[in-house]
Order: sequence, then structure tokens, then C-alpha cells
Amino acid sequence: MGWRTDDELQQMLRDSAQNVLETEGGPAHFRSVRASENGFDARAWAQMGELGWTGILLPEAVGGSDMAFDGALTLAEELGRSIAPEPFVSAAVIAATVLAKSQAPAALALARSLASGGRSVTLAWQEQRATIGLPAFAARLDNRQLHGTKRYVPAWHDQTGLLVAAKDGAETVVVIIDAAAPGLVAHPQRLTDGSISAHIDFQGAALSEDAIILRGMEADVALDLALARGTVALSAQLEGLASALWHRTLDYMRQRSQFGSNLSDFQALRHRMVDLFAEIELSGASWRRAAKDLAGGGTWSPALHAAKARCSQAAQDMGRWAIQYHGAFGYTDEADVGLYVHAALRWSTWLGNAASHRRKALEAHRREGDLNG
Amino acid sequence: MAEDLNLLSHDEFRGHWRAWLEANYPEEWRIPIIYRLMGDDERRWHRMTFEAGWRAPAWPKEYGGLGLSLEKQLIMHQEMERHKCARVLDSGALLLAPVLMKYGTQEQRDRYLGPILRGEDLWCQGYSEPNSGSDLASLRTSATIDGDEFVINGQKIWTTLAACADRIFVLVRTNKEVKKQAGISFVLADMDTPGLTVRPIMNLAGEDELCEIFFDNVCVPRENLVGALNQGWTVAKALLGDERISNGAPTLPRQAFEVLERLADGIALDDDLGRTDRVAQLYCDIEDLAALHSQVADAAIRGEIDNAALSLMKVLATDLFQRVSDELLRVAGEDAGFQTPVGVAGIELDLRKIYMIARPSTIYAGANEVQRNIVATMLMGPTGKAA
Repeated sequence: MGWRTDDELQQMLRDSAQNVLETEGGPAHFRSVRASENGFDARAWAQMGELGWTGILLPEAVGGSDMAFDGALTLAEELGRSIAPEPFVSAAVIAATVLAKSQAPAALALARSLASGGRSVTLAWQEQRATIGLPAFAARLDNRQLHGTKRYVPAWHDQTGLLVAAKDGAETVVVIIDAAAPGLVAHPQRLTDGSISAHIDFQGAALSEDAIILRGMEADVALDLALARGTVALSAQLEGLASALWHRTLDYMRQRSQFGSNLSDFQALRHRMVDLFAEIELSGASWRRAAKDLAGGGTWSPALHAAKARCSQAAQDMGRWAIQYHGAFGYTDEADVGLYVHAALRWSTWLGNAASHRRKALEAHRREGDLNG
Repeated sequence: MAEDLNLLSHDEFRGHWRAWLEANYPEEWRIPIIYRLMGDDERRWHRMTFEAGWRAPAWPKEYGGLGLSLEKQLIMHQEMERHKCARVLDSGALLLAPVLMKYGTQEQRDRYLGPILRGEDLWCQGYSEPNSGSDLASLRTSATIDGDEFVINGQKIWTTLAACADRIFVLVRTNKEVKKQAGISFVLADMDTPGLTVRPIMNLAGEDELCEIFFDNVCVPRENLVGALNQGWTVAKALLGDERISNGAPTLPRQAFEVLERLADGIALDDDLGRTDRVAQLYCDIEDLAALHSQVADAAIRGEIDNAALSLMKVLATDLFQRVSDELLRVAGEDAGFQTPVGVAGIELDLRKIYMIARPSTIYAGANEVQRNIVATMLMGPTGKAA
């Protein structure tokens, strides 16, 4: 662990996650989800429910464990290490954060099935490419009917619970809607991590009586926190991935011999591996600092943007050199290294890529006007 | 100082130190990055802080220091950075004193620590030689024993501020027959000893801080040996930890970044996206290094020393300092080409000096390539050849 430390709870979660994921997760699981029609393994999700992971941020009243966000980050890190295609960030962090803020009966019911691992839940919020943070929604309610388009909706499958953020007049609302409702047309497409994302057109899709679970300021605050938390958790997941890929690459370099030496003995390669390790160290420090800022109450701090930028870049850079150091074998689908690179493609580009977040970090810093702040 | 600084809360402590700096720090020294206190300025600074009860924050109280926690020492650094204080080397208090406390005799401590505290003695560090830089253990300056004395012959180089130092601590070879690390001793000498000459070297920043030192039958008493004979490598290595925490701090890149932002503001430079991306990258690099540095320092406070991270931060911080200074050149246009300071948009800037001061940081205190080798061995094990 070096300078990194876990509190007792995090240590417990990490041990349990490593135990489970060592046998259940990793490349073989990734391949099976990628080959599945749904891009979602209901059995694996149910197991994560039993372990208490899917309800980690949900209140005890709905069967959750209501833990501090740090615990969710430890899990994200370990899930990243095992390239888990499960919708932990989109469901157990983002959707759960929204659900936890509502006392509406429909929200409680959905939260209960999320906590148990019976269902995954996705939040449809994004409407444009490259959106970071809460946008002004064009999707709107009109006479209890939903109109508009949502894009890049994560973890889409036919059993998913669906939350939609939209405008009702001037107010933001979050509604629950049946994913199979008439007037809802989904255009699913597979992502590089094996899961499925959808663009969804709402053409007057009808809402039930109790569909609105959050409204106004409460909805804005919940959505804002959900996306900020999701961004930090995704950063932790990316760091976990990059770190696992670094070690996997080193293992390969130690046993691959050319010109009479193991690859791990060549100085040029060693220095590159050291530089990549430094990137990963910066990644680990950056998302921990972002989490600290988030716990302090601010959502989109410079550190949060810097974290997503750093972790995304580190995972991509690690992917690039992992393929390179595996040689031509690294370019085959048979080599597991490519799975990590594919997962990194999705995760590093979702919720804002490295370049966009770097710009946002600088903007946020200039607004604060004090580098020491 | 009447009150015990250790009993103050961190905020109170910060407030006290900040107020003292604001009331007492000489205005003419507030040129961060560029200015370094040396000679009489450095003596004056040590005396000022000694008299006001702020001298030697890291030293235990029994030796006359403040015995402050690492947290409070870091707060002092942060406030000096914030107040735009000049750099200060303080080799005596920072590098030599910990060695004397650990390996020195009681006579050596009694004789040398007080004058260091009061700013009476400035010390310099005689380690590098013309053929022993990054590979320090190959050093050849020799000391032979002649009765009660060591007779030193050879040459040191890159000795910072030797010309204004009163004394030097020097690594010398006392046994040529054994493995290179096993034949080195740690010896003290007065700079005015006959046979010792200093020649300042003009560097690319237009300063003559770095010096060559020639030892021509320089005789020093045997009691000037620190630690046991031939144990000098172990003695010198005890220093490296503290040095790496400060070498990995984001202070210089951050100060250079502030100059960069002020300059861009001053000349009302339009941000094109290319520039924005470069500056955003630098900003994130500084921010993330600061995050890493504070977490590694926190771990050190808990007693968890992460050696790989310490070496990596030195590489990151110094590389970053150079990259920020490179960006300054891009922004400044023709104004970066002047030999002496120029006024740009109402800001007095010595761009050439900032650029040049950033150059040697990737070389000193273990060149970055050597640091990468060290970290590679920690992370990946030794190479087949070395094993």
C-alpha cells in the first residue's frame, strides 16, 4: 500500500472484494459479459447485492448499508482492478445517490430492489456529447408525458430500472419510468467494456401517478452530487484498472526474453514503467484528494476535475504501453491485456474525458483565483 | 518565545508564523524562485529567526531547536511559500546537524550546533567530484592519517555556496582496498585551512553559487571525523530522507505557474485552445503532485516512509518546474530573450533566470535518470546483470 491507507472498514471491504473478484471477476468474467446479449450479468449483480455492494450508499431502511462514500471508492478501485463490467458506478453510486434523497414510495421500492441486487438502476441525464456536470435539461414533462432525448444512458438492458432527469416547467424533476413504456424508444449500442448504452427518445411516454420522485432544488442537489460522486468513483475505478494493468505488464516483461535478457531488464523499458507507475501514484492521490473535497461539501472542485483527467489519462497511457510491451501478442484478442485497454476506453471517455476535465480544472481554479486555496 | 509552539493548534500556529513573517520579513527578499539568501543575508535570516524563537523547527529541543511536529514544519513551509520568501539553503541546520545529532561526539555537537543556530557558521556540503556525480560512491578525494591529523588531497565540485561558507563537511576516501562504499569517511574542515582553495564556477543562470574546491595537503584534526572511520557512506545516507521530501514539493513549479498566469493576464493574452490545454495540463500536474506530496508527507508523519514515492516526487517536481518554465518562454515572446530583467506589462521579470534556475534541478540530488533506476529496482527488482 505504501503511502495509501485504508481505515478498518475500507480494509474489510477491500479484503472481501479481492477474495470474491479473484475467482468471480477478471478477464474470464469480462469476456462472458461481452459475449452476452444483455451486456449485464444478473447473477453477478445479485451476488454483489448479497455482499452489500449495490446498496452501499443506500439507507438501511431499504436494505442498504448507508456507508460513507470512502467505502464505495474502495470497491470501485477493486472493481476497476478486475475490469468488472458491472454497473457499479452508474447504479450503486449515481442512481443510488439520487434514490437515497427521495422518500417517494416508488423510489423506496426501486432502492430496495437495487440494494438487494435484484435490479440495476440507471439514470438518464445526459443529452449532449461531452457534458460535464449538470446540464440545462431540454427533456420535459408535459401533461404527465415525457418528451425529449437522452443520450449515452449507461447499463441499458431490458430489466433495468430507469430514472430520468427532466424539466417540469422551470423546475428540475427526477422521474421513474418503465423502460418498456410505450412512447419510449431505445437505441442500444455496445460499449467497449462489454456493457450496453442507449440513446433514448421519449415521444410522449406516459408517467404513472407516483412517478416524480424528486423536484426543484432537491432534484438539482441530488443530481449534482450523484454526478460528482460518479466521477470520483469512476476515477478510482480507472486507477484500479491502470494499477492492475501495470502489474500484469510487469509479469509479462519478467518472463518474456529477447536478445538474451528479460524485457524487464532493459533500462529504456524500466524507465517507462517507472514513469507509468508515477502516473498511477498521481492518480491515486488525485482521486483521494477529490473525495476529500467532496466530503467537505463542494462538488465540482478543481481537484475533482483533475482527478478524472489524471485517472483517465493514466489508464489510457498504461493501455498504450501495455500493448506495446506485450508485442504482437498484445494486439491479439486472445491476450487479456486488450480487455483492460477496452475497459479503459469506455471508462476514460465516460463522464468527461481527460482533456475536457483538464480544461474544467483550470477554469475552476481560475474562478477560485488562488492556487493555494 | 514564551509559549510552547507545540501546544498551539495548527491554525493558531499558522497565524503566529504568518504574522511574524508579515511584520519582519525583509521586503527586498520577496523574490521567489529567483532570489536565494546567501552569505550575510543568510546569516541575518538565521539570527532573526533565532532571536524570535523560530529557528530550527525540526531540531529536538535538547539541541536548541523547536522540536516541532512534521505538520507544523510543513505549515512553516507553506506560509513561506505564500509570503513569497526567497529560497534559503541552510546546509548547517538541515544537512549537517541531523548527522551530528545521530553520529557526532558530544564535543562536536557542543562546538558546532550553537553557531549554526545563531547564524555564525555557514556550512557547505562537499560530496560531488568531477568524476563522481550521480555515482557518488566512486569518489576519490583521499584522506590519509598522519599522527593526529587527516591529510586531505583531491577535488570537490558543484559545492553550493562554498565561497561564503565558514566550514565544510566532506566525504573522503580513507580505504582504497575495499568495496567503494566501505572505504569512505565523513570529515569536517574549516574553509580557511591552509591548502584549501575555492573557485566559484559561473553557471547558466549568471550566478557563481556552485564552486570547485581543491584540497592540497589540507590537514584537519582527527577529532573532525564524524562517525567511525570508513563509515561515511552510512553517515551520509542518513540524510537523504528529509532532503527528498522537500525536493519533491511542488513549491517551485507552483511559483513559476503563478508567474505564468500573471504574465498571461498582464499582456492580455488571448487563450487559444492549444495554450489552454498546455496550461491546463501544467495546472493539473501541479495540483496532483501537491495531492501526492501531502499524502506521502501525511504517511511519513504516521511513520510510513514510501521510498519509491519520495524518489518519484523528486523526478515529477523537477521535471514539472522545467515544463512550466518552458511555457513561460512560449508566452513571453521576444521578452524571453533578454539577458537581464525586463518590465513586461508592468511586471518586472527575469525570465532567463527562471528558465536557467529550472535546469539543474533534474540533475542535482540524484539525477532523474538515477532516481528512475533506483525506483525501477524497488518496483521491478534488480536487472539480471546486477543480480
